[in-house]
Amino acid sequence: MPEIPDSPMFDREGAIRGYRLNKMAMALSTPENRAAFLDDEAAFLDRFQLDVETREAVVNRDWQEMIRLGGNLFYILKLSAIDPIPLIHIGAAQAGMSPERFKRERLGEKQWHT
Amino acid sequence: MAHLVGGLGTSHIPSIGVALDRGQDTGDEWKPFFDGYDFPKSWVAEQKPDIAVVIFNDHGNVMFLDRLPTFALGVAERYEPVDEGWGPRDIPDFEGAEDFSWFLADKMVERHFDPMIAREIEVDHGLQVPMELFFGRPIEAWPVRVVPIWVNTLQYPIPTPQRCWELGKVLREAIDTFPGDDRVVVMGTGGLSHQLQGARAGFINRDADREWLETIGSNPERWTSMSREDYVEVFGSEGAELIMWLVMRGCMNSKVSLKHKHYVVPTSMTGAGCVVLENC
Repeated sequence: MPEIPDSPMFDREGAIRGYRLNKMAMALSTPENRAAFLDDEAAFLDRFQLDVETREAVVNRDWQEMIRLGGNLFYILKLSAIDPIPLIHIGAAQAGMSPERFKRERLGEKQWHT
Repeated sequence: MAHLVGGLGTSHIPSIGVALDRGQDTGDEWKPFFDGYDFPKSWVAEQKPDIAVVIFNDHGNVMFLDRLPTFALGVAERYEPVDEGWGPRDIPDFEGAEDFSWFLADKMVERHFDPMIAREIEVDHGLQVPMELFFGRPIEAWPVRVVPIWVNTLQYPIPTPQRCWELGKVLREAIDTFPGDDRVVVMGTGGLSHQLQGARAGFINRDADREWLETIGSNPERWTSMSREDYVEVFGSEGAELIMWLVMRGCMNSKVSLKHKHYVVPTSMTGAGCVVLENC
């Protein structure tokens, strides 16, 4: 796939780089694991052998960095079920904008028609 | 033989389900979106389909990267809503059209599509939300049996738009040769333009979305001639989900009539909408 500016395709590079991160996030699909994460985040993350920078990105809820390190949004979004944050804020963080500016400049004014 | 009653295309955004869960569908924010589904709902009620074939992608909810099929076909008796991280939603399980699913499995492999055959699997918002939009949310049971077809749009390489179109042709052959008198509706889901990842997050292409809704019926060649890269560029990285509408469109006659279209932007972080198509 040719590169499209500012659009990281989730291909082999990300799939390999982010495998453990995505696996950790996927584990949050069960109530038991969500409880374990909330109870002791460090111990929960230990189970997945994340490298230092990935672990730091998770702990800091750094969405831009998690994506850069091969996180796929659909998996890592499960963190937002535990530590609530609106999707628009996650988008804004990646665009490097405030949520207000992101809504105004990227999403734009509401329109509808049939 | 079974009968194809028509094709539906729609967004399947999870926040639509959340709005329904919270009873916000008639509130100011959501009313313009849900109003556009009044016609499709009454059309579906009039057509009384027995089987709904739903083409959608899993969003990292039932499939992980350990084994990710390009195409998967459900042959289960029933499909439960999956826990996407917030607990399973309080909607009825979906009854599967096992007989048609197995018939389609045979047909697909005969025609050189080789899907993963899934006997025990749950479904995420990709199937749930379109069902709620077109059938309304039932208290006890859905009025139709489902056949889920999963398309990988999450990890590259995703299938080409042309391959999705060809899958539609095989699906049509299966419908036209399936013994009995079942009425079948086909639902292509996903899109419209959106991007959730990378510095271009929040990308929406209103003009392209409008053109898509206007011409997916009359000029599908416009869209089957595009590459996957074109889809990402024009509709955003997650907007490339629109290739799944091509399965639905490929399943229909070359000439169709556009009975209805609807567009609301932005909905969550996407352009959102639907079409209702009938064969001519």
